[in-house]
Amino acid sequence: MGLICVDKLEKYYSNSRLLAVKNLNFTIEKGEFVSIVGPFGCGKTSILNIIGGIIDDYKGSIMINGESPSEARKKRKIGYCFQKPNLLPWLSVLDNILLPQKIANIREGNEKAIELLKMVGLKDYALMEPYNLSGGMQQLVSITRSLILDPEILLLDEPLSSIDEINRSKMQLKLLEIHKKTKKTTVMITHSINEAVFLSDKIIILTPRPATIKKIVEVTFLQRNEMTMFSKRFIRYVKIIKEELINGQDN
Amino acid sequence: MDKIIKTLSTLTIFFLIWHLIVTISRIPSYILPNPTEVFKAMQENSLSIYLNSIITLRESFLGFFIANLISVSIALGIAFNKNIENTIMPFAITLKTIPVIALTPLLVMWFGPGECSKIATAALICFFPSLINVLRGVKSLDRDLIIFFKAYSASKIQLIRMLIIPSILPYLFSALKVSSSLAVVGALVGEFIGSNKGLGFLIISNYYTLNTPYVFATITASSLLGIIFYYTIHLVERRIITWTVTID
Repeated sequence: MGLICVDKLEKYYSNSRLLAVKNLNFTIEKGEFVSIVGPFGCGKTSILNIIGGIIDDYKGSIMINGESPSEARKKRKIGYCFQKPNLLPWLSVLDNILLPQKIANIREGNEKAIELLKMVGLKDYALMEPYNLSGGMQQLVSITRSLILDPEILLLDEPLSSIDEINRSKMQLKLLEIHKKTKKTTVMITHSINEAVFLSDKIIILTPRPATIKKIVEVTFLQRNEMTMFSKRFIRYVKIIKEELINGQDN
Repeated sequence: MDKIIKTLSTLTIFFLIWHLIVTISRIPSYILPNPTEVFKAMQENSLSIYLNSIITLRESFLGFFIANLISVSIALGIAFNKNIENTIMPFAITLKTIPVIALTPLLVMWFGPGECSKIATAALICFFPSLINVLRGVKSLDRDLIIFFKAYSASKIQLIRMLIIPSILPYLFSALKVSSSLAVVGALVGEFIGSNKGLGFLIISNYYTLNTPYVFATITASSLLGIIFYYTIHLVERRIITWTVTID
Protein backbone atom coordinates (compact mmCIF):
# COMPACT_ATOMS: atom_id res chain seq x y z
CA MET A 1 0.00 0.00 0.00
CA GLY A 2 1.33 3.40 -0.99
CA LEU A 3 1.73 6.47 1.17
CA ILE A 4 -0.94 8.33 -0.81
CA CYS A 5 -3.81 6.26 -2.19
CA VAL A 6 -6.34 8.00 -4.41
CA ASP A 7 -9.37 5.90 -5.23
CA LYS A 8 -12.26 6.91 -7.54
CA LEU A 9 -11.74 10.60 -6.89
CA GLU A 10 -14.40 12.90 -8.29
CA LYS A 11 -14.65 16.63 -7.85
CA TYR A 12 -17.21 19.15 -9.06
CA TYR A 13 -16.33 22.83 -9.37
CA SER A 14 -17.60 24.67 -6.30
CA ASN A 15 -21.19 25.94 -6.67
CA SER A 16 -21.42 24.27 -10.04
CA ARG A 17 -22.55 21.01 -11.62
CA LEU A 18 -19.46 21.01 -13.79
CA LEU A 19 -17.29 17.94 -13.25
CA ALA A 20 -13.63 18.90 -12.79
CA VAL A 21 -12.08 15.54 -11.93
CA LYS A 22 -13.52 12.14 -12.84
CA ASN A 23 -12.70 8.69 -11.49
CA LEU A 24 -9.05 9.28 -10.59
CA ASN A 25 -7.08 6.33 -9.22
CA PHE A 26 -3.39 6.35 -8.40
CA THR A 27 -0.94 5.47 -5.68
CA ILE A 28 2.18 7.31 -4.59
CA GLU A 29 4.88 5.44 -2.72
CA LYS A 30 6.91 6.82 0.17
CA GLY A 31 9.84 8.91 -1.00
CA GLU A 32 8.58 9.17 -4.59
CA PHE A 33 8.67 12.40 -6.58
CA VAL A 34 5.49 12.51 -8.63
CA SER A 35 4.51 15.17 -11.12
CA ILE A 36 1.01 15.81 -12.38
CA VAL A 37 0.83 17.29 -15.88
CA GLY A 38 -2.18 18.20 -17.95
CA PRO A 39 -3.80 20.97 -19.95
CA PHE A 40 -4.82 24.32 -18.39
CA GLY A 41 -7.94 24.20 -16.27
CA CYS A 42 -8.11 20.42 -15.98
CA GLY A 43 -8.25 20.50 -12.19
CA LYS A 44 -4.61 19.86 -11.27
CA THR A 45 -4.57 22.41 -8.46
CA SER A 46 -7.90 21.04 -7.19
CA ILE A 47 -6.35 17.55 -7.01
CA LEU A 48 -3.37 18.93 -5.09
CA ASN A 49 -5.61 20.90 -2.73
CA ILE A 50 -7.72 17.78 -2.11
CA ILE A 51 -4.60 15.74 -1.28
CA GLY A 52 -3.48 18.62 0.95
CA GLY A 53 -6.78 18.63 2.85
CA ILE A 54 -7.54 22.22 1.81
CA ILE A 55 -10.58 21.20 -0.27
CA ASP A 56 -12.85 18.62 1.30
CA ASP A 57 -15.94 18.56 -0.91
CA TYR A 58 -15.03 15.63 -3.14
CA LYS A 59 -16.24 12.11 -3.81
CA GLY A 60 -14.14 8.97 -3.58
CA SER A 61 -11.44 8.12 -1.14
CA ILE A 62 -8.00 9.52 -0.42
CA MET A 63 -5.79 8.04 2.25
CA ILE A 64 -2.50 9.47 3.40
CA ASN A 65 -0.76 6.81 5.41
CA GLY A 66 -4.17 5.53 6.53
CA GLU A 67 -5.57 8.99 7.37
CA SER A 68 -7.85 11.38 5.55
CA PRO A 69 -6.14 14.44 3.99
CA SER A 70 -7.72 16.84 6.49
CA GLU A 71 -6.49 14.69 9.39
CA ALA A 72 -3.01 14.64 7.87
CA ARG A 73 -3.21 18.42 7.41
CA LYS A 74 -4.25 18.98 11.00
CA LYS A 75 -1.36 16.77 12.18
CA ARG A 76 0.93 18.95 10.03
CA LYS A 77 2.14 16.01 7.95
CA ILE A 78 1.95 18.04 4.76
CA GLY A 79 4.20 20.85 3.55
CA TYR A 80 2.83 23.30 1.00
CA CYS A 81 4.48 25.43 -1.63
CA PHE A 82 2.16 27.43 -3.83
CA GLN A 83 2.51 29.03 -7.26
CA LYS A 84 3.31 32.36 -5.60
CA PRO A 85 5.96 32.41 -2.85
CA ASN A 86 3.33 33.79 -0.40
CA LEU A 87 5.94 35.31 1.88
CA LEU A 88 4.79 37.86 4.44
CA PRO A 89 6.55 41.15 3.57
CA TRP A 90 6.68 42.32 7.19
CA LEU A 91 8.66 39.27 8.31
CA SER A 92 12.29 38.48 7.60
CA VAL A 93 13.24 35.43 5.52
CA LEU A 94 13.97 33.52 8.74
CA ASP A 95 10.66 34.49 10.36
CA ASN A 96 8.81 33.52 7.20
CA ILE A 97 10.39 30.08 7.38
CA LEU A 98 9.47 29.81 11.05
CA LEU A 99 5.85 30.82 10.36
CA PRO A 100 4.38 27.27 10.16
CA GLN A 101 6.09 26.54 13.51
CA LYS A 102 4.54 29.64 15.05
CA ILE A 103 1.10 28.71 13.72
CA ALA A 104 1.56 25.21 15.17
CA ASN A 105 2.67 26.77 18.48
CA ILE A 106 5.93 24.84 18.34
CA ARG A 107 8.55 26.64 20.37
CA GLU A 108 11.79 25.47 18.86
CA GLY A 109 14.83 27.57 18.23
CA ASN A 110 15.99 28.92 14.91
CA GLU A 111 18.54 26.13 14.44
CA LYS A 112 16.43 24.00 12.12
CA ALA A 113 15.46 26.97 9.95
CA ILE A 114 19.11 28.05 9.72
CA GLU A 115 20.09 24.49 8.83
CA LEU A 116 17.48 24.41 6.06
CA LEU A 117 18.59 27.82 4.79
CA LYS A 118 22.14 26.51 4.72
CA MET A 119 20.97 23.49 2.73
CA VAL A 120 19.39 25.67 0.04
CA GLY A 121 22.25 28.18 0.08
CA LEU A 122 20.28 31.13 1.51
CA LYS A 123 21.81 31.32 4.99
CA ASP A 124 23.24 34.79 4.34
CA TYR A 125 19.78 36.12 3.50
CA ALA A 126 18.13 34.96 6.74
CA LEU A 127 17.62 38.41 8.21
CA MET A 128 16.66 40.16 4.99
CA GLU A 129 13.13 41.18 4.08
CA PRO A 130 11.65 39.04 1.27
CA TYR A 131 11.28 41.98 -1.15
CA ASN A 132 15.08 42.25 -1.30
CA LEU A 133 15.24 38.76 -2.83
CA SER A 134 14.75 37.79 -6.48
CA GLY A 135 11.64 35.84 -7.52
CA GLY A 136 13.60 32.58 -7.66
CA MET A 137 15.08 33.12 -4.21
CA GLN A 138 11.66 33.94 -2.79
CA GLN A 139 10.30 30.70 -4.19
CA LEU A 140 13.26 28.84 -2.70
CA VAL A 141 12.39 30.40 0.69
CA SER A 142 8.83 29.19 0.18
CA ILE A 143 10.07 25.64 -0.56
CA THR A 144 12.35 25.82 2.49
CA ARG A 145 9.39 26.95 4.62
CA SER A 146 7.40 23.91 3.48
CA LEU A 147 10.11 21.70 5.06
CA ILE A 148 10.24 23.37 8.48
CA LEU A 149 7.69 21.08 10.16
CA ASP A 150 9.44 18.02 8.72
CA PRO A 151 6.30 16.89 6.84
CA GLU A 152 5.84 13.44 5.34
CA ILE A 153 4.57 14.91 2.08
CA LEU A 154 5.52 17.97 0.07
CA LEU A 155 2.92 19.48 -2.23
CA LEU A 156 4.32 21.84 -4.85
CA ASP A 157 1.87 23.76 -7.03
CA GLU A 158 3.81 24.98 -10.07
CA PRO A 159 6.56 26.26 -7.81
CA LEU A 160 8.84 27.38 -10.64
CA SER A 161 6.26 28.72 -13.09
CA SER A 162 7.07 32.39 -12.52
CA ILE A 163 10.84 32.01 -12.79
CA ASP A 164 12.87 32.78 -15.92
CA GLU A 165 14.41 29.92 -17.93
CA ILE A 166 18.01 30.15 -16.62
CA ASN A 167 17.05 30.43 -12.97
CA ARG A 168 14.44 27.76 -13.49
CA SER A 169 17.14 25.25 -14.49
CA LYS A 170 19.12 26.17 -11.37
CA MET A 171 16.02 25.82 -9.23
CA GLN A 172 15.24 22.43 -10.74
CA LEU A 173 18.70 21.25 -9.69
CA LYS A 174 18.07 22.71 -6.24
CA LEU A 175 14.74 20.86 -6.00
CA LEU A 176 16.46 17.65 -7.07
CA GLU A 177 19.11 18.20 -4.40
CA ILE A 178 16.47 18.90 -1.73
CA HIS A 179 14.59 15.74 -2.69
CA LYS A 180 17.79 13.67 -2.60
CA LYS A 181 18.67 14.99 0.83
CA THR A 182 15.24 14.95 2.47
CA LYS A 183 13.67 11.96 0.65
CA LYS A 184 10.27 13.59 1.10
CA THR A 185 7.34 12.18 -0.81
CA THR A 186 6.68 14.99 -3.26
CA VAL A 187 3.71 15.75 -5.47
CA MET A 188 4.30 18.57 -7.94
CA ILE A 189 2.09 20.22 -10.50
CA THR A 190 3.87 21.60 -13.51
CA HIS A 191 3.24 22.74 -17.06
CA SER A 192 6.80 22.01 -18.06
CA ILE A 193 7.26 18.50 -19.43
CA ASN A 194 11.05 18.87 -19.20
CA GLU A 195 10.78 19.80 -15.54
CA ALA A 196 8.48 16.86 -14.83
CA VAL A 197 10.78 14.36 -16.59
CA PHE A 198 13.91 15.77 -14.97
CA LEU A 199 12.59 15.66 -11.42
CA SER A 200 10.03 12.89 -11.22
CA ASP A 201 10.00 9.19 -10.59
CA LYS A 202 6.46 9.05 -11.88
CA ILE A 203 4.43 11.39 -14.10
CA ILE A 204 0.65 11.37 -14.05
CA ILE A 205 -0.73 12.68 -17.35
CA LEU A 206 -4.25 14.07 -17.18
CA THR A 207 -6.82 14.57 -19.93
CA PRO A 208 -8.67 17.89 -20.39
CA ARG A 209 -11.64 18.56 -18.10
CA PRO A 210 -13.09 16.45 -16.61
CA ALA A 211 -9.60 15.26 -15.72
CA THR A 212 -9.02 11.53 -15.88
CA ILE A 213 -5.71 9.74 -16.02
CA LYS A 214 -4.44 9.44 -19.59
CA LYS A 215 -1.30 7.61 -18.64
CA ILE A 216 1.12 7.15 -15.78
CA VAL A 217 4.74 7.18 -16.92
CA GLU A 218 7.47 5.74 -14.71
CA VAL A 219 10.71 7.67 -15.22
CA THR A 220 14.06 6.12 -14.51
CA PHE A 221 17.53 7.49 -15.04
CA LEU A 222 20.79 6.00 -13.88
CA GLN A 223 21.81 9.41 -12.68
CA ARG A 224 20.21 12.85 -12.70
CA ASN A 225 22.35 15.93 -13.22
CA GLU A 226 22.72 18.96 -15.52
CA MET A 227 23.50 16.68 -18.47
CA THR A 228 20.44 14.44 -18.03
CA MET A 229 18.32 16.83 -20.08
CA PHE A 230 20.50 16.24 -23.11
CA SER A 231 20.31 12.43 -23.03
CA LYS A 232 18.36 10.39 -25.57
CA ARG A 233 16.38 8.76 -22.80
CA PHE A 234 15.24 12.18 -21.51
CA ILE A 235 14.16 13.29 -24.98
CA ARG A 236 12.27 10.02 -25.47
CA TYR A 237 10.34 10.55 -22.21
CA VAL A 238 9.51 14.12 -23.21
CA LYS A 239 8.27 12.89 -26.60
CA ILE A 240 6.04 10.22 -25.02
CA ILE A 241 4.47 12.68 -22.59
CA LYS A 242 3.99 15.36 -25.23
CA GLU A 243 2.24 12.86 -27.50
CA GLU A 244 0.00 11.68 -24.69
CA LEU A 245 -0.96 15.25 -23.85
CA ILE A 246 -1.70 16.10 -27.49
CA ASN A 247 -3.68 12.84 -27.95
CA GLY A 248 -5.64 13.60 -24.81
CA GLN A 249 -6.56 17.05 -26.08
CA ASP A 250 -7.50 15.76 -29.55
CA ASN A 251 -9.81 13.16 -28.05
CA MET B 1 17.38 71.63 5.64
CA ASP B 2 16.70 72.81 2.11
CA LYS B 3 13.04 71.87 2.56
CA ILE B 4 12.78 73.87 5.81
CA ILE B 5 14.32 76.95 4.18
CA LYS B 6 11.88 76.67 1.27
CA THR B 7 8.89 76.33 3.62
CA LEU B 8 10.02 79.26 5.76
CA SER B 9 10.58 81.43 2.67
CA THR B 10 7.10 80.59 1.34
CA LEU B 11 5.53 81.44 4.71
CA THR B 12 7.46 84.73 4.93
CA ILE B 13 6.35 85.72 1.43
CA PHE B 14 2.75 84.77 2.32
CA PHE B 15 2.75 86.93 5.48
CA LEU B 16 4.44 89.78 3.63
CA ILE B 17 1.79 89.80 0.89
CA TRP B 18 -0.93 89.58 3.54
CA HIS B 19 0.60 92.50 5.44
CA LEU B 20 0.94 94.60 2.25
CA ILE B 21 -2.65 93.94 1.14
CA VAL B 22 -4.04 94.92 4.56
CA THR B 23 -1.83 98.05 4.83
CA ILE B 24 -2.30 99.31 1.29
CA SER B 25 -6.03 98.58 1.08
CA ARG B 26 -6.62 99.82 4.64
CA ILE B 27 -8.92 96.91 5.39
CA PRO B 28 -10.40 97.28 8.91
CA SER B 29 -8.98 94.92 11.52
CA TYR B 30 -12.36 93.26 12.24
CA ILE B 31 -12.56 92.18 8.55
CA LEU B 32 -8.95 91.10 7.96
CA PRO B 33 -6.39 91.79 10.68
CA ASN B 34 -2.74 92.40 10.03
CA PRO B 35 -0.52 89.32 10.62
CA THR B 36 1.25 91.23 13.39
CA GLU B 37 -2.09 91.73 15.16
CA VAL B 38 -2.76 88.00 14.90
CA PHE B 39 0.65 87.20 16.40
CA LYS B 40 -0.03 89.71 19.16
CA ALA B 41 -3.44 88.15 19.89
CA MET B 42 -1.74 84.76 19.94
CA GLN B 43 0.86 85.96 22.43
CA GLU B 44 -1.63 87.71 24.72
CA ASN B 45 -4.05 84.79 24.82
CA SER B 46 -1.53 81.97 24.67
CA LEU B 47 -2.65 80.38 27.95
CA SER B 48 -6.33 80.44 27.03
CA ILE B 49 -5.58 79.07 23.54
CA TYR B 50 -3.38 76.35 25.04
CA LEU B 51 -5.96 75.24 27.63
CA ASN B 52 -8.77 75.18 25.09
CA SER B 53 -6.55 73.34 22.59
CA ILE B 54 -6.12 70.57 25.14
CA ILE B 55 -9.91 70.24 25.41
CA THR B 56 -10.39 70.15 21.63
CA LEU B 57 -7.51 67.70 21.28
CA ARG B 58 -9.04 65.38 23.89
CA GLU B 59 -12.45 65.47 22.21
CA SER B 60 -11.06 64.92 18.74
CA PHE B 61 -8.74 62.13 19.89
CA LEU B 62 -11.52 60.25 21.69
CA GLY B 63 -13.88 60.67 18.71
CA PHE B 64 -11.10 59.55 16.37
CA PHE B 65 -10.33 56.53 18.58
CA ILE B 66 -13.96 55.41 18.89
CA ALA B 67 -14.62 55.80 15.13
CA ASN B 68 -11.54 53.82 14.16
CA LEU B 69 -12.15 51.14 16.75
CA ILE B 70 -15.69 50.62 15.43
CA SER B 71 -14.61 50.66 11.79
CA VAL B 72 -11.76 48.16 12.39
CA SER B 73 -14.14 45.86 14.31
CA ILE B 74 -16.70 46.01 11.48
CA ALA B 75 -14.01 45.41 8.84
CA LEU B 76 -12.69 42.38 10.75
CA GLY B 77 -16.25 41.07 11.04
CA ILE B 78 -16.69 41.48 7.27
CA ALA B 79 -13.41 39.59 6.69
CA PHE B 80 -15.04 36.51 8.20
CA ASN B 81 -18.65 37.07 7.25
CA LYS B 82 -19.53 38.91 4.05
CA ASN B 83 -23.20 39.20 5.17
CA ILE B 84 -22.16 41.81 7.74
CA GLU B 85 -21.17 44.07 4.84
CA ASN B 86 -24.66 43.82 3.28
CA THR B 87 -26.24 44.66 6.63
CA ILE B 88 -23.98 47.51 7.70
CA MET B 89 -22.99 49.28 4.48
CA PRO B 90 -26.44 50.66 3.54
CA PHE B 91 -26.68 52.08 7.07
CA ALA B 92 -23.14 53.51 6.90
CA ILE B 93 -23.80 55.07 3.46
CA THR B 94 -27.07 56.63 4.72
CA LEU B 95 -25.16 58.04 7.66
CA LYS B 96 -22.58 59.46 5.27
CA THR B 97 -25.21 61.26 3.18
CA ILE B 98 -26.50 63.19 6.23
CA PRO B 99 -24.30 66.29 6.80
CA VAL B 100 -22.74 65.95 10.26
CA ILE B 101 -23.30 69.67 10.89
CA ALA B 102 -27.05 69.07 10.54
CA LEU B 103 -26.83 66.31 13.14
CA THR B 104 -24.79 68.28 15.68
CA PRO B 105 -27.77 69.98 17.43
CA LEU B 106 -29.35 66.54 17.84
CA LEU B 107 -26.11 65.15 19.25
CA VAL B 108 -26.00 68.02 21.77
CA MET B 109 -29.58 67.15 22.73
CA TRP B 110 -28.77 63.46 23.11
CA PHE B 111 -25.34 63.63 24.71
CA GLY B 112 -25.64 66.95 26.52
CA PRO B 113 -23.65 70.16 26.10
CA GLY B 114 -20.51 68.61 27.62
CA GLU B 115 -17.60 66.90 25.89
CA CYS B 116 -19.62 63.79 24.98
CA SER B 117 -21.54 65.49 22.16
CA LYS B 118 -18.27 66.83 20.70
CA ILE B 119 -16.69 63.38 20.88
CA ALA B 120 -19.76 61.96 19.14
CA THR B 121 -19.53 64.61 16.38
CA ALA B 122 -15.83 63.88 15.87
CA ALA B 123 -16.51 60.12 15.82
CA LEU B 124 -19.36 60.53 13.36
CA ILE B 125 -17.33 62.63 10.94
CA CYS B 126 -14.37 60.18 11.10
CA PHE B 127 -16.34 56.96 10.90
CA PHE B 128 -17.18 56.61 7.21
CA PRO B 129 -13.80 57.54 5.66
CA SER B 130 -12.13 55.27 8.19
CA LEU B 131 -14.49 52.36 7.45
CA ILE B 132 -14.01 52.70 3.69
CA ASN B 133 -10.22 52.67 4.02
CA VAL B 134 -10.02 49.74 6.41
CA LEU B 135 -12.55 47.84 4.32
CA ARG B 136 -10.33 48.33 1.27
CA GLY B 137 -7.54 46.72 3.29
CA VAL B 138 -9.69 43.73 4.19
CA LYS B 139 -10.82 43.33 0.58
CA SER B 140 -7.27 43.45 -0.71
CA LEU B 141 -6.24 40.53 1.53
CA ASP B 142 -4.24 38.02 -0.48
CA ARG B 143 -6.50 34.98 -1.00
CA ASP B 144 -3.46 32.74 -1.49
CA LEU B 145 -2.10 33.77 1.89
CA ILE B 146 -5.43 32.94 3.53
CA ILE B 147 -5.25 29.48 1.89
CA PHE B 148 -1.67 29.16 3.16
CA PHE B 149 -2.79 29.88 6.74
CA LYS B 150 -5.73 27.48 6.30
CA ALA B 151 -3.35 24.78 5.03
CA TYR B 152 -1.36 25.07 8.24
CA SER B 153 -4.58 24.91 10.32
CA ALA B 154 -4.25 28.45 11.70
CA SER B 155 -6.98 29.50 14.14
CA LYS B 156 -9.10 32.61 13.50
CA ILE B 157 -7.17 34.51 16.18
CA GLN B 158 -3.86 33.55 14.50
CA LEU B 159 -5.27 34.59 11.14
CA ILE B 160 -6.26 38.00 12.53
CA ARG B 161 -3.03 38.51 14.47
CA MET B 162 -0.51 37.15 11.98
CA LEU B 163 -2.12 38.00 8.65
CA ILE B 164 -5.14 40.31 8.66
CA ILE B 165 -3.92 43.02 11.06
CA PRO B 166 -0.45 43.41 9.46
CA SER B 167 -2.01 43.26 5.97
CA ILE B 168 -4.51 46.02 6.67
CA LEU B 169 -2.04 48.21 8.60
CA PRO B 170 -1.11 50.39 5.58
CA TYR B 171 -4.83 50.95 4.90
CA LEU B 172 -5.50 51.53 8.60
CA PHE B 173 -2.81 54.21 8.74
CA SER B 174 -4.26 55.83 5.66
CA ALA B 175 -7.64 55.81 7.49
CA LEU B 176 -6.05 57.23 10.64
CA LYS B 177 -4.38 60.04 8.70
CA VAL B 178 -7.61 61.02 6.93
CA SER B 179 -9.66 60.85 10.12
CA SER B 180 -7.09 62.72 12.27
CA SER B 181 -7.76 66.06 10.56
CA LEU B 182 -11.47 65.28 10.25
CA ALA B 183 -11.65 64.58 13.99
CA VAL B 184 -10.43 68.12 14.76
CA VAL B 185 -13.04 69.53 12.37
CA GLY B 186 -15.72 67.39 14.08
CA ALA B 187 -14.76 68.58 17.56
CA LEU B 188 -14.73 72.24 16.39
CA VAL B 189 -18.17 71.91 14.79
CA GLY B 190 -19.43 70.34 18.00
CA GLU B 191 -18.01 73.21 20.03
CA PHE B 192 -19.68 75.80 17.79
CA ILE B 193 -23.04 74.60 19.09
CA GLY B 194 -23.78 74.65 22.80
CA SER B 195 -20.35 74.79 24.35
CA ASN B 196 -18.42 76.99 26.73
CA LYS B 197 -14.94 75.63 26.14
CA GLY B 198 -12.65 74.43 23.38
CA LEU B 199 -11.19 76.14 20.32
CA GLY B 200 -14.57 76.09 18.56
CA PHE B 201 -16.09 78.03 21.44
CA LEU B 202 -13.20 80.56 21.33
CA ILE B 203 -13.75 81.10 17.58
CA ILE B 204 -17.51 81.61 17.93
CA SER B 205 -17.36 83.82 21.06
CA ASN B 206 -14.66 86.08 19.57
CA TYR B 207 -16.55 86.26 16.30
CA TYR B 208 -19.56 87.64 18.21
CA THR B 209 -17.38 90.39 19.74
CA LEU B 210 -15.66 91.06 16.38
CA ASN B 211 -12.29 90.23 17.92
CA THR B 212 -11.06 88.98 14.55
CA PRO B 213 -7.31 88.81 15.43
CA TYR B 214 -8.22 86.41 18.26
CA VAL B 215 -10.41 84.41 15.85
CA PHE B 216 -7.43 84.15 13.45
CA ALA B 217 -5.12 83.14 16.30
CA THR B 218 -7.55 80.38 17.33
CA ILE B 219 -7.95 79.17 13.73
CA THR B 220 -4.15 78.95 13.50
CA ALA B 221 -4.09 76.90 16.72
CA SER B 222 -6.81 74.55 15.36
CA SER B 223 -4.83 74.12 12.18
CA LEU B 224 -1.66 73.38 14.17
CA LEU B 225 -3.61 70.81 16.19
CA GLY B 226 -4.63 69.01 12.99
CA ILE B 227 -1.07 69.16 11.64
CA ILE B 228 0.44 67.76 14.88
CA PHE B 229 -2.19 65.02 14.99
CA TYR B 230 -1.54 64.07 11.34
CA TYR B 231 2.24 64.06 11.58
CA THR B 232 2.26 62.06 14.83
CA ILE B 233 0.36 59.31 12.99
CA HIS B 234 2.65 59.69 9.99
CA LEU B 235 5.74 59.21 12.21
CA VAL B 236 4.25 56.16 13.93
CA GLU B 237 3.38 54.74 10.50
CA ARG B 238 6.95 55.19 9.28
CA ARG B 239 8.26 53.37 12.34
CA ILE B 240 5.83 50.47 12.10
CA ILE B 241 5.49 49.90 8.36
CA THR B 242 9.01 49.21 7.23
CA TRP B 243 8.15 46.93 4.33
CA THR B 244 7.31 48.04 0.76
CA VAL B 245 3.62 48.71 0.37
CA THR B 246 1.50 49.14 -2.73
CA ILE B 247 -1.99 50.34 -2.00
CA ASP B 248 -4.26 49.76 -4.98
